[in-house]
Amino acid sequence: MNEFEKLEAELRELQPSEPSAEFASRLESALGEAGNVAVRCLPDEAEEECTVKDKMEVNPTHFLRFPRLLAIGGLSGLGLAAIWAFFFYISGNILSDESDASRANVTPIAGNIDVGQPLASLVEDVDSPIHGLSLEQIQDVSVMPVNGWLDPQSNERLLRMVDEGVFQQPSGFPARRVRHFFMDETLWSHPASDTRVLSTTPREEVILIELETY
Amino acid sequence: MNTEPIWKSWFARHGAKLLMFARQQSRRPEEAEDLLQEAFVRIWRLYGHTGEVAPGLVYRAIRRLAIDWARSIDRRQAREQRVALDSPLSFSFDRTLEQDERKHALMRAVERLPDQQKEVVTLKIWGELTFDEIARTLDESLNTVASRYRYALQKLKEWVPEEMEGKTSGSSSAS
Repeated sequence: MNEFEKLEAELRELQPSEPSAEFASRLESALGEAGNVAVRCLPDEAEEECTVKDKMEVNPTHFLRFPRLLAIGGLSGLGLAAIWAFFFYISGNILSDESDASRANVTPIAGNIDVGQPLASLVEDVDSPIHGLSLEQIQDVSVMPVNGWLDPQSNERLLRMVDEGVFQQPSGFPARRVRHFFMDETLWSHPASDTRVLSTTPREEVILIELETY
Repeated sequence: MNTEPIWKSWFARHGAKLLMFARQQSRRPEEAEDLLQEAFVRIWRLYGHTGEVAPGLVYRAIRRLAIDWARSIDRRQAREQRVALDSPLSFSFDRTLEQDERKHALMRAVERLPDQQKEVVTLKIWGELTFDEIARTLDESLNTVASRYRYALQKLKEWVPEEMEGKTSGSSSAS
């Protein structure tokens, strides 16, 4: 190490004093919404959540690392399918009964409509695993209770943010467009049977950050 | 989910160095914070969405803003009224460093440097910028900033022993 390098090392040891906390607060106020566009998870957060947010992108393999999540998703799908089938069965029966009762009074609008046949959407699928089953039987087959569900709980989860660049607004001022990708989650719970059904729906939200020209 | 804006960790890393440079450019501590705030907010609004902003952009914005502000009459008067004792770097460093005689001598030697050399040393040592980045920040040629840095180190090498002797002789005479 020559003399200049030694001098440089000594200079680096002189640490500049830190800005005050008040100044940091001032900065936060001055930044406004622009300060919250890029965020990171704090260290005590779950690793998987931080990975998604820090990189601001969604890696499909990310979800494969969480078998628990997959299991919940799979069960949710099955549960939802069972509920859908159940309601389809109920509505089919009710409408079928109504149509049987009123069938005699219906006047065909067109000659080629056979009122003796139920509407296509109400045709029962004889191949369905729940065809011909009673409510109790369906409950047994689906392993899903019919009554006793709590009100659903909704939650939104931010997956990533994408900066789409600077656009000129109709007012003429530039603005940065940032698209947020959320996953809305709805959870139905049945405490008696400790059953939960999770539904997830993707959603996008766009925010515009006005820029000052410099 | 518990999150923190990225600018906070970014500023924790670079804030002290940027503030020191702002003090050097503005010469007045109260103006330095305004200068840094203005420069940082402008740059972060433009590039902050990426989560990582090159510090050189903020250094450059500080310098250009300082020049703009200095052009205004009010700011010029303020600069003219500045007191020589308000040496910008003296309060830019951690005061506990003064316990170390050599470091204190080094700090005083840095303060004696001409402004042009001092800003190059600041950007190189504490800003950790390359000569190329410094040249772009200061709107000077690469050779110019490299020369200024070399001259500055040469002077510091000569002045630090002087400062130490001066302090020693001053203390002995006082005693």
